[in-house]
Amino acid sequence: MILEPITYKGGLYRYEEMVELIEDLGGYIIQLQQIAGDIIILALVPKEDLELIRAVAKPLSGEVKVSPLVGTEIAVVSMSLQIHHLPHATCDVAEYLRQYGAKTNVIGLARGFGKRVAQLNVEERDVINEHDCAVLLYGNFEECIRYKNPKIGRGITVPIIATGGPDREALMRCIDPPVEGYVGGMGRLAHRAKRPEELAKLDEMVAEVSRVLDLRRAEIYKDPLSAAPPRLMDLILEKVEAIHEVTSPTPVTVQMAGLRVKLPYETYAKPLRELELEQGVRLGDIADVLPSRMRTYIWVRVRPFSETKVMV
Amino acid sequence: MTGIEVFTHDCPEKAGGEYYERIAADVLQDLNLLRVISKLHISVDPKVPLFIAVGVIRKLPAVVKIHDFASVQAKGNRLTLSIGDESYLAPLLKFLWDRYGKSNVEQPDRWTVVITVPEGGAEGFEELPVYDPREDIFRDLMYAMVLIQPEGFKVRKEAYRDGKFWFVASEDTLPEDVVERQVREKFALIGEEL
Repeated sequence: MILEPITYKGGLYRYEEMVELIEDLGGYIIQLQQIAGDIIILALVPKEDLELIRAVAKPLSGEVKVSPLVGTEIAVVSMSLQIHHLPHATCDVAEYLRQYGAKTNVIGLARGFGKRVAQLNVEERDVINEHDCAVLLYGNFEECIRYKNPKIGRGITVPIIATGGPDREALMRCIDPPVEGYVGGMGRLAHRAKRPEELAKLDEMVAEVSRVLDLRRAEIYKDPLSAAPPRLMDLILEKVEAIHEVTSPTPVTVQMAGLRVKLPYETYAKPLRELELEQGVRLGDIADVLPSRMRTYIWVRVRPFSETKVMV
Repeated sequence: MTGIEVFTHDCPEKAGGEYYERIAADVLQDLNLLRVISKLHISVDPKVPLFIAVGVIRKLPAVVKIHDFASVQAKGNRLTLSIGDESYLAPLLKFLWDRYGKSNVEQPDRWTVVITVPEGGAEGFEELPVYDPREDIFRDLMYAMVLIQPEGFKVRKEAYRDGKFWFVASEDTLPEDVVERQVREKFALIGEEL
């Protein structure tokens, strides 16, 4: 079953029907948000049922949009948390990626700014490596990007999408070692992106992130995971009582090849490892349950079928 | 850019220079400084790395004296001030406390200040300067320059004299004569002399 990532936007009126339909069709609800009188559902649904969902949404005045980034967690890496980089540029990128369904985390580097002085510390590197990909927001000068990229990119194992002021070709020229994606003409700025050409750049960035993540998905499909992360999310929500006490908007964050469970590692790692999925297969058999570098959370990394010889 | 007569930039990287001109325009607009500056030149060299901003400030409002916003009535060595414009009350009180001591300054109501001055202290009292707007504007300008410059340029030097200001920043320490020569060159680009 091929799952299509979608966003449903509608009113409170009869939205439960949409929730039930997605569940009945075998889809997964990644996030359900109520903002005043509006409901936003991020979900993965069977591709062949997309038209049915659209048909059901129509009388509810709901809108169904394909959002390629649903079910991904992306690190938006700002070179610092100073006014030079925030809120504009960094928040524009993070917010725009969210519009397409991604769960974004802004990571402000402690010493990412400058040219000679720029550096990435171990904790920052580990946090970035817990995501599906990292968007590195560089500045406006080729010279600086050329100089600092090897230091900032060192040790990052997830795909990198580099953005910066110089155009795409210039970025490709000055970034060595090469990264997976480039978005040029999007450097530091001191105002909110609102002009048509600026919004077009953000669209280009989303397309580039989607392209890079599609390549990653294709790689994962070559050696499929032992269990689909959204399915594990459903099971955790069903079987782990404590998860319902978590106040975070996404107590379990779905990634392409894992999950971030927002429960303390010390207390819940063991029960999670022993969580029975089906027919005696436990979560610990098919996934690594690791301490996350983000707060005290748990990071579940699902192992591929070739390693476990089990498919749930 | 509205308000600034001459606004130029130079940078070895064309795109980078244009970005910085845009950033400067946004920051100056946000801080309401466009009407304060008449000429501005921004120079960024990421190779050194070096950021230089030089500019000329328009004619600024004069120093605010007591008679500009209050009327004074003298009775012996007691002066009663009726405040006309509250904007300068805070700097006035600070000035009076420093000069006469807190025990000699009373404020019976919002619009009145009574001061006990020493013998002969009432003479020329109305002419005393209370607030110099140039100090604030220079501080705001330097804050704007810190926002405009590339982040991480921690070595800074700035100055303001005779309506002209300059600001130099870098990641590395720079020799004094290099800074002065470069600043002179940048002033020449906007038709001014340091």
